This record gives sequence, C-alpha cells and structure tokens, in this order.
Amino acid sequence: MRPWLAARLAALALAFCAASVFAKDIKMATTTSTDNSGLLQYLLPKFEADCHCKIHYTAVGTGAALKLGQNGDVDVVLVHARPSEDKFVAAGYGVNRRDVMYNDFVIVGPASDPAGIKGMHDPLAALKKLHASGATFVSRGDDSGTNKKELAYWKAIGIKPGGPHYLAVGQGMGATLTVAGEKQAYTLSDRATYATYASKTGLEILVQGNRKLLNPYGVIAVSPKRYPKVNYKGAMTFIEWLTSPTGQRAIGDYRFKGAQLFHPDYKKN
Amino acid sequence: MSAPLLALRGVRKAFGRRLLFEIERLAIEAGGAYVLVGPNGSGKTTLMRILAGLDRDAGGVMSVHDQDMSFGSYPEHLRRSIVYVHQHPYLFHTSLRHNLEYGLKCRGVPAAERARRVEEAIAWAGLAAQRATPPGKLSGGEKQRAALARARALEPELLLLDEPTSNLDRDGRAQTLALLAQLRDERRTVIVACHDQEIINLDGFARLRLEEGRIALQSG
Amino acid sequence: MDLLEPTSQAFRLLFSGDPELWRIIWLSLWVSLAAIALVAAPSIALGFLLAKKRFPGQRAAVVLVQALLSFPTVVIGLVIYLLLSRRGPLGSFELLFTPWAIMIGYMMIAFPILVVFTISAVQGADPRVYETARCLGADRLRASLTTLFEVRFGILAAVVNGFGRAISEVGCAIMVGGNIAGLTRNIPTAIALETTKGDFAQGIALGFVLMVVALGVNVLLALLQGQGGLK
Repeated sequence: MRPWLAARLAALALAFCAASVFAKDIKMATTTSTDNSGLLQYLLPKFEADCHCKIHYTAVGTGAALKLGQNGDVDVVLVHARPSEDKFVAAGYGVNRRDVMYNDFVIVGPASDPAGIKGMHDPLAALKKLHASGATFVSRGDDSGTNKKELAYWKAIGIKPGGPHYLAVGQGMGATLTVAGEKQAYTLSDRATYATYASKTGLEILVQGNRKLLNPYGVIAVSPKRYPKVNYKGAMTFIEWLTSPTGQRAIGDYRFKGAQLFHPDYKKN
Repeated sequence: MSAPLLALRGVRKAFGRRLLFEIERLAIEAGGAYVLVGPNGSGKTTLMRILAGLDRDAGGVMSVHDQDMSFGSYPEHLRRSIVYVHQHPYLFHTSLRHNLEYGLKCRGVPAAERARRVEEAIAWAGLAAQRATPPGKLSGGEKQRAALARARALEPELLLLDEPTSNLDRDGRAQTLALLAQLRDERRTVIVACHDQEIINLDGFARLRLEEGRIALQSG
Repeated sequence: MDLLEPTSQAFRLLFSGDPELWRIIWLSLWVSLAAIALVAAPSIALGFLLAKKRFPGQRAAVVLVQALLSFPTVVIGLVIYLLLSRRGPLGSFELLFTPWAIMIGYMMIAFPILVVFTISAVQGADPRVYETARCLGADRLRASLTTLFEVRFGILAAVVNGFGRAISEVGCAIMVGGNIAGLTRNIPTAIALETTKGDFAQGIALGFVLMVVALGVNVLLALLQGQGGLK
C-alpha cells in the first residue's frame, strides 16, 4: 500500500475513534439492590441498543449514590429513599425526579425463629416483638435505601436501635445477609438480594406482603445548572426511556428465578 | 597419689582424613598451672574447646576425677566445674555486674552472696572505676580482665584460658599477667593456651607442647 | 472536592472524644496488641530453633516460613473464613464476625514476620554468645534466652513490624470481622468501608491516628536502639 494512502486511512480511523469517544457516555449512580438483583444487567443493554449510547453505573448505597450526585460525579441517580430524594431535589442538586418502579422488602431470619415473628402481617409489630425478645438483628448500617427504611421503621415504633444484639455492618445487602446467616440472626432485605443469597444463608422469609414493606424507586437527573459539565442530555434520554412504555414493560418483564421482582409504576401526572 | 583432676586417654581430633592431633596420655593435676604452647594451627584452641565441652567430634576418653565423660554433652556439674574463656571473650551487652553474676545466677547462688562475690570480682580485676561503663565500651584489656574475673568468680575446678593476652597493649598485658600469677597462687587449676613468651616464662607454670599431632609435658 | 472542611472536622472528632471514633481506635489497638502478645513467644522460640538447631529438613522449614511472608493476606482471610464459618469445621465456636476472628487473622499474618526476623537476628548474633553462656554454666534454655536477649533489638524490631502489619491489615479484617459497628469495626475497615459512603472526616481522623501509631512505634524502637548503643 502506498505510504500516503496508509496515512490517510490511519487518520480516518483515529477520527472515527475520537468521534465515538466524544458521543458522550452516561454515568449513573444507583443502589446495590438494583445491581444485585440482576435488573441492570437485563435492562441496560436494551436501553443502549435503543439509544445507541453507552451508560456506566456504580452501585453503592442510596446515601453514597446521592452524595455522588451531589458532587457532580455522575449524571443521573436511581435510588430508593423518597425523603432523601426530595431533599436532594429541594437542595437544587437534582431535577426531573420521576417514579420508576417498586419492589418490596422482607424480614428474614433463622428457620427456628426464636423471636416468634413468622407470619405476622405488620412489619412494625414484628420488629417491636423482635426487639423485645432480644434476638440479634443485623443492619446494613451503610446509609443505603434499605438502611434508611429500616431506621424509619424503628423510629415509627419509638425504638432507638443499638446494643449488643444490633449489628451494623456498614456493607451491602449480600454481606449483611451473610453475616445474618452466620449469626442466625434477623435482618431486613429486599426480596431480590434475599433470593440470590437464600440457599447460602439458610434464612427464611418471616414477614412479607405488607404495604409498609413496599420500596419505591426514583430516578433523578443531576442539575445542569449546578454542574454545567454533566451529561444532562444523556441523563434525560435515560429517564425518558425508563419511564416510557418500552422501559416500563421491560422492568415488569424481568424475572429472577421465575419471580417478578420489580413493578413499574411511573404515572404521567 | 590421688587421681588427677583430668585425664585424657587416646583423645584424637581429625578433620575429614586429616588428623590434627592424637593425645595418648595426659594428666592434669588439681591445683596445677599449665601453659599450652605450640605453633599456629597445631590445634591449641581445638583442644581447649574439646576440654570445654564445646566440641563433640573427638575420639578417645576423658575422665574427670576418674569418672569417664563423653565429649560435648557434659552433665551439669561438669559444666559448672570447667569454665572456658574465649580468645576474644564476649561480654553480654548488659552491665558489668550482670556479666559477673551471670554464672552465679545459673548456679542458684542467692542474691546477697552474689553481690558479695561480684564486688570481690570487681576488686580482684581492678575494675572499680569501670563499674558503670557499658561492657561494649570497655577497652580490650578491661574486657579481658572482666572475662577472667567473670570466670574466676565461679570458682571452677578447671579454668581454660585461650590466648588471654592477644590484642592487648602493654598495660593490658601486664595487668593480665598479674592476674594469671594470682590464679596460680590461689591454686586454681588453669590451662592457658598462648604464644606469649612472658606467660610461657611465668614461674610455676608447667609447659605442655602441642606439636605435629602430639602433646608433651616439657620440663624447665 | 474541598478537603479542608472534612480535615478540620476530623480533628474536631478526635479531640472532642467522639465515642464511635474512639471505640474503633480502641478495637484496633487491643486486637492487634493481643494478637502480637499471643503469637510472639511461640514465633520467637520457633525462629530461634530454626536459626540454631540442626535437623533434617531445616533448610526447607526456613524457606517455607520465608515463603509465608509473601502469603497474600486475603487468602489468609479466606482460609480463616472457611474454617470459622457456620458450615466450616470450627463453625460451632461461632467465632466468625467477632474480634477473635480478626485476632486469629492478625496472629497468622504476624507469625511469619516474627519468625523470619527472629531467624535473621539470631543468625546475626555473635556465635560466642551462646557458647559463653553455656561455658558459664547456663543450661540450653537459659543460654537460648540469653542469646535472644543479646539480640533483643532485632527481636523488638520483629515485634514492632508484626504489630504494624497487623494493625494496618484491611482485607483479612473485613472478610472475617464483618466491620460490625462497635464489635469488629477497626481502623482499616472503617476507613475502607465508611469512606465510600462519602463521610471523609472519620476516614481522615482514623488515617491520622494510624499514621501516628505506626510512626510512634517505630520512633520508640529507634530511640531504644540508640540508647542501648546496639545495632
């Protein structure tokens, strides 16, 4: 090949690469539950195929995810802690918050159920009984959506969690379930992660199905006013897709071990 | 005649196939002062170490007070009756006092008695001024005297001294010589291996010559 | 990101005596110290034997211990986890996710350090030490202890090194400890796991404490060595 032709082709290839790099990727911060459940591995490729773009995510606790949004380190957040989400938007860090879906929590524990809460309907009553029995409870203690929900429950029944039977591990749901399994203790988990770890931990679902155990997710774009460099266009593309009939149907279609974990609930208001 | 303190019969030391020495008979009398001489490489230090129990690879028989002993693994009472001082003695990096009372502690001497004997040793060696000096900082001569005092304080039946005046300056040697003469006067059984003519010529020291694999008691 | 704010917050936490912070620091200190205290004597004794005694397989044993020095600590954590987990052979003792599990991990991590340093110190000792002790009438045990005392600064360096290694160990501590607040959350696990939540003040405060401890212990060692006038 003539040298000048080779050079022209090389330059073209370089330009093509540069162009694809410049088609901006979307950065998302989300929670460990959306990741652990396998939902993102199922959903995101569909999104990328539809929009011809790339989205990267980091899965941490809700508190950490919102912190990342607060620092402008990501373009969009997908979390499940309504009060914190509202604060995030009110403080001007996020815009265009939309409901996306909900899943549910379950209270799990050892099959022997020393606290005797199996089959109880009200999670608050169950936790009260658990606390009174002195059984060990493992908490995520990591400022995640699950953790915030758990703390809200304790607050609702007027108990300040602590003491030798309350173990805060500061880690994700999987680690928390593992510790609970080892210690044969109780914990609050999202259904999906519990299902993933069920055989390993030997814990059983003891309380489920109550409205109070529902766990709604919200998606928020990081404010371009705050952080002009953020990929707002990409964030909105993702949010639009997630709340579109296509996206919502995909969420509802996702199955884990034959069960539906997430229920789409975006309502145009 | 009473049994000698130490009797060697057919004691031989070889390195591989090279025979260093073979001692047919040797008797060390209690209370005797001996100086072991011989050319370099004749095996003086090796012989001393064998007597001290530091070397097991030797053939032959040694008997102490007519009791046969095997080389290298001396019973406790024997370790206490024979004390060997290295050519360049090692003083523990603790204190002069600790060094002097080390062997006494090993023998279970009570504290008060130990203190008395340590004081006596310091006086004997003329080290009163060096009492507080870290042992590592003593001069060559002071170290030698300290080592001698340390060994003597244990009142052993046999003192084995390896080249006690090597690497000493004139004053050091003079002081060490004086101490050796004192040991002789105290009727301590002592064997001194050395090259030093002054020691060799000391009065009252019997000469043992180790040469070409044989040992002989020299007169004169 | 502004670091000035969390740093000043960190110092405020430290000096105000924040209980959670000091609980973490205290756990790190006592577990590391206890681990070293328990493993020191056997390690030093083994190091001494490997350095002095001649027996078949001695070389192999020394090489093995030296190899253990490079053993990845996460694998140590994994082994302990498998042993102590409920499904493991020692599960009935319920030691996983307790400070004792961390202590066991620290002991296993410090062990090769102590042995190898001791071997080195003893081999570097003047051969006349042991002999002098024996000649003065010491039995084998006493002569060995005297030798160890003569190389005490090398041994001390071993202990300091082992302690420093233990107190900074994070991988093993997370795996077998679980970072449970108030129970198994020590300085390195707190820094590793709490910092990712975005709260840097605590991480900075703890990192500072760890540096002070590491520096302090080494300065102490240097001072002692200087005083003794020994290498």
